Amino acid sequence: MAARDRVFGLVYVSPLMLVLAPFFVAPILVVLGASFFQSDGFGGIIATPTLQNYIDIFTSKLTADLYTETVKFTVLTWLFSLIIGFWVAYFLVFHVRNPLLAIGLFLLCTVPFWTSNIIRMISWIPLLGKEGLINMTLIRLGFVKQPLEFLLFSSFAVVVAYVHQLTIFMIVPIFNSMARIDKRVVEAALDAGASRLDIMRMIILPLSKNGIALGSIFVVSIVMGDFFVIKVMSGGGSASVVGALYEDVGVLQYPSAAASAVVLTIVVTLLVALILRSVDIRRELAQ
Amino acid sequence: MDLGPGHIELAGVVKSFDGFINAVDGVNLKIPDGAYCCLLGPSGCGKTTILRMIAGHEDPTTGEILIGGENVVGLPPVARRTAMMFQSYALFPHLTVRDNIAFALRVRGLSKAARYRTADAMMEKVRLTDFADRLPAQLSGGQQQRVALARAAITEPRVLLLDEPLSALDEHLRVQMRQELRAMQRDLGITFIHVTHTQLEAIALADLVVVMDKGKIRQAGPARDIYDSPNDRYVAEFLGGQNVLSGQVRTVNGHHAEVAALAGSGIRVPLTPGIHVDAGDPIAIAVRRDDVELVRPGKAPAADTVALAGKVTGVEYQGYFVKVLLDAGGSADFVAYVSERKFFSDPVGIGEAVLVTWPIEVARLLR
Amino acid sequence: MTAAEHAIAAPVSRAVVAHAIAPRSSGRPWTFYALCTVFVFYVLALYGPMICIYILSFQDVRGGLVFPMKGLSLHWFVDLFTQVRTGDVKGAFERSVKLAAIVTVATVIFSFLAGLAFRRSFPGDGIVFYLMIGSLVAPGLVLSIGVGLLLHFIGIEGSWYTSAVGAQLSWTLPFGVLVMFAVMSRFDRAWEEAAYDLGASRWQAMRLIVIPILAPGLVAVALFGFTLSYDEFARTLQTAGSLNTLPLEIWTMTLNVTSPSLYALGTVTTIISFAIIAICLGTIATIQKRRASRAPTG
Repeated sequence: MAARDRVFGLVYVSPLMLVLAPFFVAPILVVLGASFFQSDGFGGIIATPTLQNYIDIFTSKLTADLYTETVKFTVLTWLFSLIIGFWVAYFLVFHVRNPLLAIGLFLLCTVPFWTSNIIRMISWIPLLGKEGLINMTLIRLGFVKQPLEFLLFSSFAVVVAYVHQLTIFMIVPIFNSMARIDKRVVEAALDAGASRLDIMRMIILPLSKNGIALGSIFVVSIVMGDFFVIKVMSGGGSASVVGALYEDVGVLQYPSAAASAVVLTIVVTLLVALILRSVDIRRELAQ
Repeated sequence: MDLGPGHIELAGVVKSFDGFINAVDGVNLKIPDGAYCCLLGPSGCGKTTILRMIAGHEDPTTGEILIGGENVVGLPPVARRTAMMFQSYALFPHLTVRDNIAFALRVRGLSKAARYRTADAMMEKVRLTDFADRLPAQLSGGQQQRVALARAAITEPRVLLLDEPLSALDEHLRVQMRQELRAMQRDLGITFIHVTHTQLEAIALADLVVVMDKGKIRQAGPARDIYDSPNDRYVAEFLGGQNVLSGQVRTVNGHHAEVAALAGSGIRVPLTPGIHVDAGDPIAIAVRRDDVELVRPGKAPAADTVALAGKVTGVEYQGYFVKVLLDAGGSADFVAYVSERKFFSDPVGIGEAVLVTWPIEVARLLR
Repeated sequence: MTAAEHAIAAPVSRAVVAHAIAPRSSGRPWTFYALCTVFVFYVLALYGPMICIYILSFQDVRGGLVFPMKGLSLHWFVDLFTQVRTGDVKGAFERSVKLAAIVTVATVIFSFLAGLAFRRSFPGDGIVFYLMIGSLVAPGLVLSIGVGLLLHFIGIEGSWYTSAVGAQLSWTLPFGVLVMFAVMSRFDRAWEEAAYDLGASRWQAMRLIVIPILAPGLVAVALFGFTLSYDEFARTLQTAGSLNTLPLEIWTMTLNVTSPSLYALGTVTTIISFAIIAICLGTIATIQKRRASRAPTG
């Protein structure tokens, strides 16, 4: 019976593999391959292996700048989405008494995730612009005399858009982790005289670690791999690694784009692996 | 010789899940057709594994399982004409009571009218007709159990297997449902195999009690035999109701052995046929808790009784009897069940010294 | 008395008592109000900008891209669907919906099967799991380029109903399978075993028991499949071929935005999304409500 089940397992998972193989594994390999070749300048690829693409990347100051910008945004987004996401999840799990209401509010936070993120991004424009709602209100109320320019088409706007889009990725795993904490453990701690700070420090934070790690993986990989939020919200003022990649592809410079993509993928993989070291992801997800 | 369709025999059954430890370690057992059999033991003793192997949800690593004389190892559950009642009842949450019960008929291709007819008859039997259109989540524990029973019985199996059916119920309901199970079994006339860890439940229900430990059968027989004449220390202690004292054989003389216990004079114990002892052997003896009489020191104990010095360490009122815990005969867990009226005619308190006595002939040597 | 007995006997200090969270029956601690405020601000910030867009899409003909509203009109909605210069919105719409439908069906079926597979361990299950996670975190554009290059080398033309399907599945399937993991873990194997015990064949057990019980989970997977596909952009960018899906249209408009017709598009597409969400969540809620336990009557 067990052997037959194992065969069934392989059969059942084959459709998934039929998708992953050509649409994940193969493209990665193709990009990897293309990164070692040369461009013929017209969008084709000359099949002579060369390391020139990588050398160009690692010796170019542009690379360092791009990664600095991208990492800067990644860290800022991660920080703010974590802080907001943690407290929202905490509020929903520990302060909302009615479980049905908690689920309802949780869904309220999740629904925007299921709508277009481009639309959600550009929806900040009428708010943050020089003639936008916030500036108009501030001027009307007399807080400022001139419209605040830094609100839109700036790093501030980029981070706002990212946090707006990605906090949900923090809320969901952290909510999950917190919801699994047995409330009786907290009660027992209270009985023993622990303060709320103690409980946070010694019970809730350690037990939410997995959720935080999972959320971080999502946030980091999405921000590092993004190109359109930065392009639009910074008004062209900032660039990102993938943004530059996109430009390269636009001018049909496939090999250099490929090399850049490979380097980025390795960096993101390393970051994700680093985070994974602190959590058993398989157990966490497959529970 | 016709064994009957529900006659079960396990021959040399071994089950190992990981290749190292045997969950079931060489079990041989014969269960007569139409008997109510209880597999009794603590968690992990292998009783549920045996049940599942009879059902066909697990296969033995080695050994044979015969139902009605034919070897069923390798047959799927449905081909064995057995039915199982799961511990959690496993009622299909999305189907009504009627659909739950009629499920077995549905998968056999019966028309809706036909299977509802049979299901309704079954619901009558278990008194659930008023709940026919309810979903399992809307039923109480006792009602859910009856649905599970009806669902299993509708296939007219020759053996019904019950995996701790009463564990999920509270005390009061448990005692009530016990009688329903027994009545159902008599009504259907088929073999029931009931797995439980509750001693009182097993001896209340079963024609055949099988006491298990760590994958092996320790003793199998009618309830009274097991309770009154346990073979070994494990069975005596597990069934409860017995005090087990350790000692060493001092002398043996034909009918009795004299055993030196740790405190006090030698204890004379009748020899059990089948157990051979020599002087110097370590031995265990069992005395029923309700055979023990407490006597004030200074009063002479009755003739032909064993008397040991003891100290009362606890008194528990249990309604129609009082449980007196004592330190006696080298055992700190010595227990005497004293009838309530007798106890309160001359109650003893904690810390008092008493003589623990019993008639010589009621004690038993254990293996 | 020993030190321990002293510690136990000493009265608990007022500070300790005051710091403990208030008991169930009485009022809330100050942190509740602070966190409530945070939560409210978060929800406002979440929905606020979107609501602005919806309002602005009803901007008057003479109005611009920002407040104030000069009047109310449906002009920009009409403009969206009729003017050629705003691109082939109608066509992109149809393609997106069809594509999302295909991807949804594939996602539900493939995720369901994969979820079944992962119930027991099978050779290579670790590899499959990590490949799935990899597909989830990989930068969408990179995969998109890779598929584009692959197709170029093989000499096949990509299109929205072939290569884009696969590219989008590489994004939706990990989500679907993860949801199935969560759903399967709450599925009691005893139900399946009981079905076999009662004589059901493998297929009957699947059809009559497993799938109906898992139905809410499957609807959730469908929700993910549809919405993730409908809004998918990066992976579709290089794999959709010559005809755009809706997100690609939106992207083009974003780069060339000159009128509130973009907002009108945002409103319309969000209505579609909300409709799908409402249908799915409503279905799940209805099924769960029917199966939820009510107080037993004896």
